[in-house]
Amino acid sequence: MAVGPYAVLIPRKPLLGTAAVLVVLIAASAVHLSVGEILVHPLDALRALFGDGTPRDLLVVERLRLPRLQAGLAVGAALGAAGCLMQTLAQNRLATPDTVGLNDGAAAFAVASVTGLTTSLLPSGAALTGAATAAALTLALSGGAGRGGYRFLVVGLGVGAVFGAVTSLVLARSAADAANAAYGWTVGTLNSREQDAVALLALALVVVLPLAMVLGRRLLLLRLSDSVASGLGVRIKGLRLAVIALAVVLGGLAVAVAGPLGMIALAAPEAARRIAGPRTVPVLLSALAGALFTLLADLLGRTVLAPLEIPVGLVTAVVGGPYLLWLLLTTRTRRSL
Amino acid sequence: MNPDQSVPVNPGQSVSAHPAEPDSRLRTRDLRLAHGSRVVVDGLDLALPEHQVTVIVGPNGCGKSTLLGGLARTLPARSGAVLLDGRELTRIPTREIARTIGMLPQSAIAPDGLTVRDLVRYGRQPHQGLLRQWSADDARAVEEALTAADLHGLADRPLETLSGGQRQRAWIAMAVAQETPILLLDEPTSALDMGHALEVLELVRSLAAQGRTPVLVLHDLTTACRYADHMIALKDGAIVAQGPPTAIITPDLVRELYGVESAILTDPVHDTPVICPLRVTPSGAAA
Amino acid sequence: MTLRALFLRGLLPGAGVLLAAVVASLLLGAGDVGPERALSALLGGADGDARFTVLELRLPRTLVAVAVGLALGIAGALLQAAARNPLAEPGLLGVSAGASFAVVVALVLGASAATLGPYVAVLGAGAGCLLALGAARLRGAGDDPVRLVLAGAAFSGLMAAGSSVMLLVDARAADEIRFWTIGSVAGRELADLWAVVPVVGLGLLLAVLVAPALTALSLGDDVATGLGHRPGRVRAVAVAAVALLVGGATALAGPVAFVGLVVPFAARALVGPDLRRLLAVSVLLGPATVLTADVVSRLVARPYEMPLGVMTALLGAPVLVAVVRSHRLPSL
Repeated sequence: MAVGPYAVLIPRKPLLGTAAVLVVLIAASAVHLSVGEILVHPLDALRALFGDGTPRDLLVVERLRLPRLQAGLAVGAALGAAGCLMQTLAQNRLATPDTVGLNDGAAAFAVASVTGLTTSLLPSGAALTGAATAAALTLALSGGAGRGGYRFLVVGLGVGAVFGAVTSLVLARSAADAANAAYGWTVGTLNSREQDAVALLALALVVVLPLAMVLGRRLLLLRLSDSVASGLGVRIKGLRLAVIALAVVLGGLAVAVAGPLGMIALAAPEAARRIAGPRTVPVLLSALAGALFTLLADLLGRTVLAPLEIPVGLVTAVVGGPYLLWLLLTTRTRRSL
Repeated sequence: MNPDQSVPVNPGQSVSAHPAEPDSRLRTRDLRLAHGSRVVVDGLDLALPEHQVTVIVGPNGCGKSTLLGGLARTLPARSGAVLLDGRELTRIPTREIARTIGMLPQSAIAPDGLTVRDLVRYGRQPHQGLLRQWSADDARAVEEALTAADLHGLADRPLETLSGGQRQRAWIAMAVAQETPILLLDEPTSALDMGHALEVLELVRSLAAQGRTPVLVLHDLTTACRYADHMIALKDGAIVAQGPPTAIITPDLVRELYGVESAILTDPVHDTPVICPLRVTPSGAAA
Repeated sequence: MTLRALFLRGLLPGAGVLLAAVVASLLLGAGDVGPERALSALLGGADGDARFTVLELRLPRTLVAVAVGLALGIAGALLQAAARNPLAEPGLLGVSAGASFAVVVALVLGASAATLGPYVAVLGAGAGCLLALGAARLRGAGDDPVRLVLAGAAFSGLMAAGSSVMLLVDARAADEIRFWTIGSVAGRELADLWAVVPVVGLGLLLAVLVAPALTALSLGDDVATGLGHRPGRVRAVAVAAVALLVGGATALAGPVAFVGLVVPFAARALVGPDLRRLLAVSVLLGPATVLTADVVSRLVARPYEMPLGVMTALLGAPVLVAVVRSHRLPSL
C-alpha cells in the first residue's frame, strides 16, 4: 500500500482475516448483549445502548451486560495480545501469561491489596507490580526467555505455584470465609468488576497495541537466531525488554479486572497465526481473537447451565485444557512456533 | 586362540532338538527381525562358536545391532527363533536367560551419582532373589569383575566423573559380574581412543580364554580382524561370509561390504589381516 | 555405599527430623493449648482440655500426616523411577488430580463421602498414572522430561476445572467436594486412617517387591532386560503401587502436590540415586515433610489454618525450579 512517498507493506491475507474477525466479534457482542436469563432482541439491545428503550431493557443492557461486555472485550484483547508477544519472545507457543506465572503473580498482589495487607495501592497497580515481579522472577531463574524453551515454562510453573500459595496464604490470614473470597481470584470471572480497572485496561490497550504493532516487524526477526537478528540490525536485549514490558502491562491489568483467566492467551494467538499465516506477528489479530474467545466463553458460561452461571475462567479451562494437552504431547520440536 | 580347536560341550546342557553343531549354545533358525514395518534381518541361520570371540561386522544399517538385540531378546523375533541350548528363547524365563546371556547395549545410560561399584553390583541381580538379596558369591563376583576391568581404584567414584574409557570399562565390568557364559557387546569400543579400545578388547580376549563366549559388534574392520576368532560379515541383514578373519577377508569381500577398493596386508606381529582402503569403488563397477 | 553409610547419611538424619516433626505436631497447634500444657497432657497430666486436644485431635492428625507422607514420598520415588524423570511427581503429573476428580464424580453421582472408602480414589489415581506414563512414552513429550511436567500441570488444571464445574452444579455435594479440591490433614479421624491402611499397605508391599527390578530399569530397558527383568511388567507393577499409594493418600487428605518431588529429591541428595536406598530414606523423610508442612500451616496464619497443599507448594516449587535449573536434568 503506497501513499505518496510512504509505502507500507500490508499483506492481504491478514487484512482480510482481521476484517472477518472484527465482523464476527461485533456479531458476538450483539449476541452477548441480548442473550441471557432475560432475552433482549438484538435491535432493542442496540437501541438500549443509545439510551432508548423500556426500563427493563435499559437496566439489563446498560447496567448489567454492557460493563460485562466491556470487561470481556478488554480482558480478552489484552490477554490475546500479551500471549502473542510472550510466545514470539520465548519462541514457544506455550509461553503465555498464565504458563509463566504472570497471572498468579498479579493475582497474589491484587489479593494482597484488596485485603488491605499492603499499602493503599489500587488493585490494578498491585496486579501490575505482581505481574512484573513474576515475569522478572521467571526470566531470571530460567536464564533468559530466548534460550529457555520449555525450561522457561516449568520455572514459570514453579513461580506460579509459589504465588498461588501466597494468594491462599493472604486469603487465609485475612478472612474467615477464605474459600469464598478466594473464588474470584483463583478462577477468573467477569462478574462484578471494578469499572476503574476496566477503564485503566482500556487505556493501556489504546497505548500498547499500536506500540506492539510497530514492534511487530522486528519481532519477526526474533524467530531467527540471536546472532542473525543482531546482524540484521536489531538490538536484541532492548527489544526483548520492551516486549516483556508490554506483555506485563497487558497481562497484569487484565488480571486486575478478571482474575487469572487462563487459555485465552494460548488459543487466541494460535488462531491468529492460522488466519494470518506465518509471515507476520499478528498482535492486533490476536487481540481481536482473544476478545472474541472471551465473549464466547462467557456466553457459554452464562447459558449452558442457566440459571447457574459458570465463571468464564472455568469455561476456558475446560474447553482449552484438552487443547493445551494435545499441543504439549504432540508437538515434536523443542522450539515450536 | 585356534579357531579350529574343538571344545567339549558342557555335559547335560545340550540335549538339543537341533544337534547340528555341538559346540554352539546360542544359534538362530530362519530368524526374522524388524523395526516396526521395516524388516532388517530375514531368514538368518547362525551359530555362535563356544569359547571364541565372535565379531559381527558390516556396513552401517546392515543389521548388526538389530541382530545382537535379537540374540539378547530385547528385540522379539518376527518369525523363526533364537535357540539357547536348543530351546526357543521366548520359552525360557527371562531371568534364566539373564544367567546365561549378558548384554551391553550401545548407548547405555545411568542415573547421576551412581558409583562404579553400584553399577557392577546391578550385574548380580539375575542371581539374587527376594530373600537372597546379597551373598558371598555376589561379593566375590563383583570383586573379580572390578579386578578384570582394572577398576579397583575407581570403584567408589560416581560414573559421570569418569572418562569415557573408564565408564565403558565399568559397564563391561557390570556385564562381567553377571557371570554369564555368553556375553553380547554392542560396539564396546565406540567413542574410545586407541589405548582404551585396546584395553577393552584385551579384556574381552581374556574372558574368552576363561571359557566365556563374547560376541561383539565392531565398526573397524582391522580391529575386528585382530581380535576375532570367528567373524560374521553382514550385509542387508544376511550373512555374506563367516569364519576366521584370515580365511574370509579378501578385497572382494571388502568391496562387497563397503563399496571400497582395498589392499589386504598382514599384521607383522599377529599375522591377522590389515585392511588398507584405497578408494571408493566406482558405482558402475560395484559387485 | 555401605549399609553403615546409608544409616549414617540417610536413616539417622531422617529419623531425627521425623521425631522432631512428630513432637512438634503433638505440641504445637492453632488452638490455645500451648506446648507446656500439651506436654504435661502427654505425660499423663490431668488437664482435660489439653488431653482432648492432644490425644483426640492432634494425635490422629499426626498419624494421618505420617501415613500421607509415607505414601506420597514412596509414590514419588517409584513414579520417578518408572518414568525415568526426576520431575515426575504424582501431584505434578496429575495422578492426585485424577484421584480427587474420580471422588468428585462419585460424590456428584450420589455417593456419600462418609461411606465412599479409598477405592474410587485408587481407581482415579490409576487412570491418572496410566495417562502420565502413556504420555511419557509418546514421541514429543516422552523424550523431554520438562514437557511431561507441563502436560501433567495442564491435566491437573483440567481436572481441577472439571471439579469446580461440578461444585457449581451440585450444591449438595459442594462442601464435601471442596475438601477434595484443596488437600488437608485437619479434622481427619482415626477411622479414616484405618480405612486406607490396607490400600497403602498393599502399595508399600508392591513397592518393596518391585524395587530391585525398578532399580535396574534406571540403566535403560535393554540393560534391565539383559539382567532378567521385563520392563513392561515392572512398570505395570510400579504403576499399580503408585495408584494404591496416591489413591490412599488422596482419599485421606485430598490432593497434596509436591511431596513426591521434594522427598526423593532430598533423599537423593543424602544417599545417591539407588532406588532401594531412596525408598528406605523416603520412608522417614516423607512423613517428616508432610508433618513439618502441616505444623507450619497451623502456625503461620493463626488463628486460622492454611491448607496443607499451600505449604507443600511453597516448599516444592523452589525444588522444582532447582531441579529444572540444574545444568542438565539429572538422568534417572
